[in-house]
Amino acid sequence: MSTLTKILIVLVTISSIFLCGIVVTYVALADNYKDKYDEIKTERDSFKETANDKTEQLNKKIAEKDALEDKLNREIAKLNTEISTLKGDLKAANDEQKISNQRLSDMASVVETTTQTSKETTKLLMDTQAQLTLAEAEKTKLEAQFEDTSNTLLEKLAIIQTLEKEKKQLLEEKAELQSRMDKLLQPTGKAPAPVVIVTPPTDVARPAPVITKKIELRGLVTAVDSKNKMAGISIGTADGVKEGMRFHVTRANKFICDILIIDTDAEEAVGVLELIEEQPRPGDTVATNL
Amino acid sequence: MSPNRRIRGGKVIAADNLYTVILGLAFCIVLATAAFVAYKCYFQYETIFNIP
Repeated sequence: MSTLTKILIVLVTISSIFLCGIVVTYVALADNYKDKYDEIKTERDSFKETANDKTEQLNKKIAEKDALEDKLNREIAKLNTEISTLKGDLKAANDEQKISNQRLSDMASVVETTTQTSKETTKLLMDTQAQLTLAEAEKTKLEAQFEDTSNTLLEKLAIIQTLEKEKKQLLEEKAELQSRMDKLLQPTGKAPAPVVIVTPPTDVARPAPVITKKIELRGLVTAVDSKNKMAGISIGTADGVKEGMRFHVTRANKFICDILIIDTDAEEAVGVLELIEEQPRPGDTVATNL
Repeated sequence: MSPNRRIRGGKVIAADNLYTVILGLAFCIVLATAAFVAYKCYFQYETIFNIP
């Protein structure tokens, strides 16, 4: 055997040992791809099943979400309707509150006017009471004067009776003297001259002239109730209007009717229509004096 | 040591049987490697030559 063959045998042996070692090492350390494939396939199937379950749950949740969304939409529509109703109620309540506030302010003004009128009435009552006291004092004084005057009158009546008796006696004496004078003068053909009165006759007492003052109230007709023959005027107790006063209604110097006041307020008065020649209208002039 | 050891030029020279043994050893190693690979293929993929 040649040396070259020997070298080749040694090299083949070494290389085969080396290559076989590499192959054995590789095969021993190589992964089991079939197991990995099975494992991955099992895992994939599991994931697929899980995905199906999740998809089913998702569909279920979507259906529940749709149902809930429909329910919520119905509730939203219902709540929107309630909101609209409540807005309407709120608006009505606000309007009512405005009206109430207006009424309250009107009532406050009425109360204020009434209070002022009450104060004026109280003041007027006090003045009237003072005048009544004065009138009672005056009455007492007049009663005393009346008593004196009555006594004086009685005395005067007694004097008058006495004077009448004396007058009667004088007339009788005058008649007697006249008859005697006639008997004395008739034979001489004379007659007595008529008696001339020396004392001047006293004047007859006359009533003193009555001094009056015109009221001079003027206003306008504010309302007319032709059915009940009633009318309202624009002036009241603050201007001096009193119950029982009579106002004349005119329109451009033409007489329309009379209004007899039956109820008064601070700023207005109401009365009954009388002597109607023409139907009065709001705006016609009313006055106490034509 | 092979009995065919010879001395050539004053040096000891191995006999030819030694190289036969070495060659046989290499063959056995290759054979064992092939058997090991076949074993691993069969038990891992349940086949030797086919692709699963």
